[in-house]
Amino acid sequence: MATVATRRPIADRAIGLVLIAPALAVVGLFFVAPLLMSAVVAFRGKEGGFTLEHFAKAFDFYTTDLLFTLWIVVLSTLLIGLVAIAIAGYLTLGGHPRSVAILRWLYRWPLFIPFVVAGQLMRTFLAKNGMLNHVLIGSGLIEPLSAQSLLDWRGIVVAFVWKQAPFVTLLLAGAMASLETQHIEAARNLGARRLRVLIDIVLPQVRGTLLVGLVLSFVTMLSVLSVPLMINPNSPTMMTVDVAYRISTHGDYPVANALCLLSLGLAAIGAVFYLRQAARSAEAT
Amino acid sequence: MKPRIFALLAGLVFAGAIGAQTTTLNVITAGDQNMVDYVNNYLAPKFEAANPGVKVRAVGTGPGDAGSQKIYEKLSAQQKAGNNEWDVDVAVIHQLASATMVKEKLLMPYRGDVAAGKLVTRDTAKNALGADVDGYVLPMFHSQIVFAYNPDLVKSPPKSFAELNEWVKKNPKQFGYNGVKGGMSGVGFVTGWVSAYSGMADKLEKGPYDPATAPAIDKALSGLKEFNQYVVMTPGNAGTLDMLNRGEIAMGPVWVDMFYTWQADGRMSPKIKLVLPSPGLPGQPMYYVIPAKAAHAALAKKFIELAESPEVQADGIVKQFNWYPGIDPQYVQPKLDQAAWNKLFTDITPADLSKYGRPFPLSPYFKEITEGYERVVLK
Repeated sequence: MATVATRRPIADRAIGLVLIAPALAVVGLFFVAPLLMSAVVAFRGKEGGFTLEHFAKAFDFYTTDLLFTLWIVVLSTLLIGLVAIAIAGYLTLGGHPRSVAILRWLYRWPLFIPFVVAGQLMRTFLAKNGMLNHVLIGSGLIEPLSAQSLLDWRGIVVAFVWKQAPFVTLLLAGAMASLETQHIEAARNLGARRLRVLIDIVLPQVRGTLLVGLVLSFVTMLSVLSVPLMINPNSPTMMTVDVAYRISTHGDYPVANALCLLSLGLAAIGAVFYLRQAARSAEAT
Repeated sequence: MKPRIFALLAGLVFAGAIGAQTTTLNVITAGDQNMVDYVNNYLAPKFEAANPGVKVRAVGTGPGDAGSQKIYEKLSAQQKAGNNEWDVDVAVIHQLASATMVKEKLLMPYRGDVAAGKLVTRDTAKNALGADVDGYVLPMFHSQIVFAYNPDLVKSPPKSFAELNEWVKKNPKQFGYNGVKGGMSGVGFVTGWVSAYSGMADKLEKGPYDPATAPAIDKALSGLKEFNQYVVMTPGNAGTLDMLNRGEIAMGPVWVDMFYTWQADGRMSPKIKLVLPSPGLPGQPMYYVIPAKAAHAALAKKFIELAESPEVQADGIVKQFNWYPGIDPQYVQPKLDQAAWNKLFTDITPADLSKYGRPFPLSPYFKEITEGYERVVLK
C-alpha cells in the first residue's frame, strides 16, 4: 500500500495503459475497425456518397426476417430461462439425491455439442418421418397421419433451447449453490413448499446471474448461422441466412453490411441489459 | 553419440534436398466435398504417378456460386497486390464467376495449348451465361437439374411445368424444393419456372438483356407464389433428397450427379426415378481454368490435359462420379462399358438432355429472377 501511495499518478496511469495496450489493440484491430468499415460500406452509395438505399432494400426485402429473428430469439430466451430455472432449481432443492446426481450429469451434455451438429441432429430428429414422430407414433400418442414436420421455426427454437439451456443452467446452478442455505431452511421450516422457496427465496437472489446468462444466450443465438441454415433456410428465416445469401450469391456486401448493422442493433438491446447489470454488481462490491 | 547426431543431420539435409525437388501443384475447387474428393483421391494419384516429384494439393472453397466467389476474391486480391506469382495453379469454378474472372483478366487463355481443347464441342466452352469465355475455360463436366420422383406414389409424373402446376393442386404438399437460399437445385427450379411461364426462355438464355422484361418476370413469379402454397420447402439440395428418400415428399428438383451418387452409396432408395420436364430445367458445367499468373502454368496445362482425356472423363467423371462428360460424349462412349453408359442415361435419354437441358439465364436476368423471388414470392 505504501509503495503505491508514493508513486506519481501519471506514471501509474502510463503503466496501466501499457498493460492493457495489447488487449486494446486486439479489440480495436479485429472488432472496432471491421465494425466501422462495415458501417461505412453499408452507408456508401455506388458513387461514394452517403446513401440509405441499402437500408431501404434491407427493409424492403427482409423486414419479415428481422421480425422473425427477433421472435425466435426472444421466445428461445424465455424458454431457456424457464428450463434453466427448472433444472437449476431441482439441482438445488431436489429431495432425491440419486435423481439430482443423474440430472447433474445429464444436463451438461449439449454444452459440448457445436451448433452445426445440433442442427444436423435436429434435421433427422424432427423431420416428418424422423425419430421423434416414430417414437410418438410407436407409443400410440399420435396417429401416423397427424405426424408433421417440425423443421420450421419450431425446429430452430427447439435446437436453440436444447443447446443454450445447459449453459444458463450451469451459471444459475453455480449461483444457487453459493447461496446461504439458512434462508432456504428457514422457509422450509416455516412450511413453504419447494416451488415457493424457488420463486420467493432463491430466484430473487440469483436474478443477476440469470439475466447475464440469458443476455449472453440472446446474443449468441442472434449470430448462429448453421442452425437456421440447416433447419429452415427458406422464408421467413433468420437474418444470418440472409447475410450469407447476399454475400455468397450476389456478392452484395453493402446490403449484407446493412443487415449486419441491424442485427447489431438487436444485440445492442442485450448489451444494454448486460452493462446495466455489470455496473450494478460493480457498485455492490 | 556423435556419429548418431551426424547421421541424423545428414538425414535431415537429405530429406530437405528431396523436399526442395518436390513441386506442389495447387488446385482449388468450388463445389461440394465430392469435388475435392475427386481431385485428391482420383486425379492426384494418376497425375503424381505420371509426373514424379510433383505433389497435387486440392482445397475446396464450398458449394455453389459462393465457392467460386471465394476463388474470385482470392485471385483478385493477389492481382490488386501486384503479385507476380499467384498461389493457385488450377481452379475449378462455376459459370457466373468465370465471366467475371475473364472480364477482370484474372485468367489465362489455354484451350489452344492442350490437345483436349479440340474434343470440346458444347456451347458452354465458349459462352458462360452470355459472357464470352472462349479459350479460357474447359468444362470439367456438365450436370443437370431434373425432377426425381417416387414411382410408388406418382404413377405418371408431370411432363411439363403446366402439368406440374395442375398436379400439385391435386396432390398438395407432395412436391418439395429448396427455394433460392438453399442451393442451386432450388434456384434452377425457379429459373426454369420463369423460363416456362414468362414465355421468354430464349431471351433469358441468349439475351440481350432488356430491363423492360421485368414485369413479365414478376408476373411469372407471382404464379410461383400461388404454386408455393401447395408445396413443401426443403432445407437445401440434400434436404430435398433426404425428404424424397424418407417418403415425406413424392417429387422434387435434384442434381443428377448427387442423385446417382446417393443411390450408389445406398443413401437413396433405388426405386426413385428421374424425369426432365418441358420446356426444360437448367444445368451447368464447372470449368477448369488457369489463373493469369499461375506459378506452375505448364504443369497446370498438363494436369488439365490428363483430366480432360477421354479415359479420365469416362472412368472418373461418368463412371465413378456420375457427371455428364465435359468433352463431347462421342469420345467418351468408346471408353466405357455399356452398363456404365446406360446407367447415366436410363431415365433421361441423350435426346431429352439436348432438348430440355437448358443453360441458366444470363447473369443480369439471373439476378433479377432471384431477387424477384425474394420481392414477389417471399413477401
